[in-house]
Formats: sequence, C-alpha cells, structure tokens
Amino acid sequence: MIALTGIPTLETERLVLRPPASRDVDACITFYASERARFVGGPSAEHDAWVIMSRILGHWAMRGFGLWALTLKGDDTIRGVFGHWKPGTRPENEIGWSLWDPTLEGKGYAHEAALACRTHAYDVLGWKTAVSYIAYENDRSVALAKRLGAWEDPDAPRIEGKEHYVFRHPGPEALA
Amino acid sequence: MTVLETERMVLRPPQAEDFEFLRPFAMSDRARFVGGGADKDEGHAWRILAILAGHWSLRGYGVFAMVERESGATLGSIGPWFPAGWPEQELSWTVWSTDAEGKGFAFEAVSRVRTHVFDDLGWPTAVSYIDPENARSIALAERLGAVLDADAPRPDEADLVYRHRRAA
Repeated sequence: MIALTGIPTLETERLVLRPPASRDVDACITFYASERARFVGGPSAEHDAWVIMSRILGHWAMRGFGLWALTLKGDDTIRGVFGHWKPGTRPENEIGWSLWDPTLEGKGYAHEAALACRTHAYDVLGWKTAVSYIAYENDRSVALAKRLGAWEDPDAPRIEGKEHYVFRHPGPEALA
Repeated sequence: MTVLETERMVLRPPQAEDFEFLRPFAMSDRARFVGGGADKDEGHAWRILAILAGHWSLRGYGVFAMVERESGATLGSIGPWFPAGWPEQELSWTVWSTDAEGKGFAFEAVSRVRTHVFDDLGWPTAVSYIDPENARSIALAERLGAVLDADAPRPDEADLVYRHRRAA
C-alpha cells in the first residue's frame, strides 16, 4: 500500500472521521449514482465514482491532508466525506464536505463534522484562512457555511470554468 | 511500499514529486490515448496523478513511476491497473517523456513489472488495452510477446486487447 498510514482520525461528540478505504467504494458508487451528487460533479457512472474515490485517496498521498470518511460513533459505515481539499491548481485551501446519507440531514452532523475539520485546519495544518467552494443552488451547503460563520467573499479567486460561491471562513484569530 | 528495480530505473508508487514530469505530458496530445490532451488544464493533470496514487490505496497495487537512476527524472507510469468497470486486470504503461522514447525504457520496465504481476501478485493472466491508433504501444505489446485477443471484453469497443502469458 502507498504510505497512507499517517492519516489521523478525528473524533467529535457523535462522529468519527476516519481514513477513507476500499470498503467505502460501494457507498461512493451509490452516492454518485444519485441526484444528491449533482453539486459535486455527479451523477456519475460506476467507473467514474470509483475514480473519484481513488482521487480522494490520492489527494492524501499527494498533499498529506484530504477528505475523511464521516462515520457515526459505533458504526463504521461511511456517510459522507469531510475535510481538506486542494487539488491541482485550486486557488486556495478548502474546507470541503459532501453528506452522502440523507437520513443524517437536519441533525447538525454536518456542522459538527465541518467544525472539527476547520479546527484541525487551523490547529494542526496551520492554515491561516480557508474557503468553501459551493455550487449555486446548493442551498443546504450555503446554509451550513453561514452557520459556520463563513461569508460570501466576492473578491476571492474562483475556480476556472465552474459556477460557484466562495465562502470564506473566519480565521484562527477570529475564532480564538 | 513496493519498489522494483531494473538496470536503468527504480520503479516506485507515484508521488507528488512526479507532477512536474506528468504535467507537460498530460497537457499534450501525446496523452490523447490515456485521458489527457492539449485541451486539458493543469488541474486535470493533477487529478490524473491523484488517481494513479489512489488506485494503490483502493487495490493494494497500482502503477509505478519509472524513475531513471541517472537523471532522477520520472519517465512514465507503468503497471497493474484495475479500476471499477475494467473487464480484467490490466498491465498498463504510459511513457511521459519524449526523450525516453526509442531507448527501450518502456520495454525494460514492462518486462520487470510483468514478472511482478505474475510472480508477486499472482495474476493468472494480464491484458493491455490499447487504442488502435497508438502505434508505439502496439509495437511494444508485440515486442513483449503479447498476442491479440479478439474475443476478450474491453472497456472501450474500439480498444485492442493484447494478452500477456506467464512464461512457462
């Protein structure tokens, strides 16, 4: 295996953010086959979903940080991916999320997970700022970004070729 | 981490340092047979490398970066490839560097990795899916002794399937 043994695990009150693994592939394929994936590049066929999962793991290998598998404490099933994302030439470091399991909506899980990721970004990765790129019409993610205290940043560089908001998170000093 | 050696190369899993070598290839038409092209951007090139690296995590094996001992340059990627939707386990190769063409690097690397997939990974057989217009890869497959398998399923109907046999 490629050196991914260094991926940490984060715990919150109700959640465990653990390294993604091959056992998560089927859930990834199911999510990316669904309309729920429309804001994150889907819906996609099986091969493409597998490639996305591969890219998520490859991001860890390339950057040393990445997206975790979101699980509930006591249940290893992947429910989504949350974490840190900076593929290719993206202009800035991102706090990214994608909640795959619709039954978890409306219970504050995504908020709890994203907060833990942001804390990790500032305290462990040493980020000074962070954004979240959110597709237009992805109302749930916009609401979550606002609940996290992030605001739309009209001056931030955008991802070329994509239509999206840039939400900027309060920095480490503002949260201290 | 699996590392293989040949006379002129070290073969190791892809790493972030390979990007500077992959980028110009992936963004050129030399990459048109493997998902790249002159119309692709740097982000696309990065995603290709991430996918190569991530395949190792999902399968426990994957392609190797061909690192030339003398220069330290990554010349290409080569090795076992089996993403979802692939009919069979593939022995794949891609030479990134034009400088490396015509010098037997790909032949040297594939020969070593083919032994690896048969002897270490225990594959009973292996195929290479090749675009019919990819004359260089076809020539390499034939030099390696692989034979066309007209009946084998393929990811893209237009692909040729070359089958490698384990040495007796």
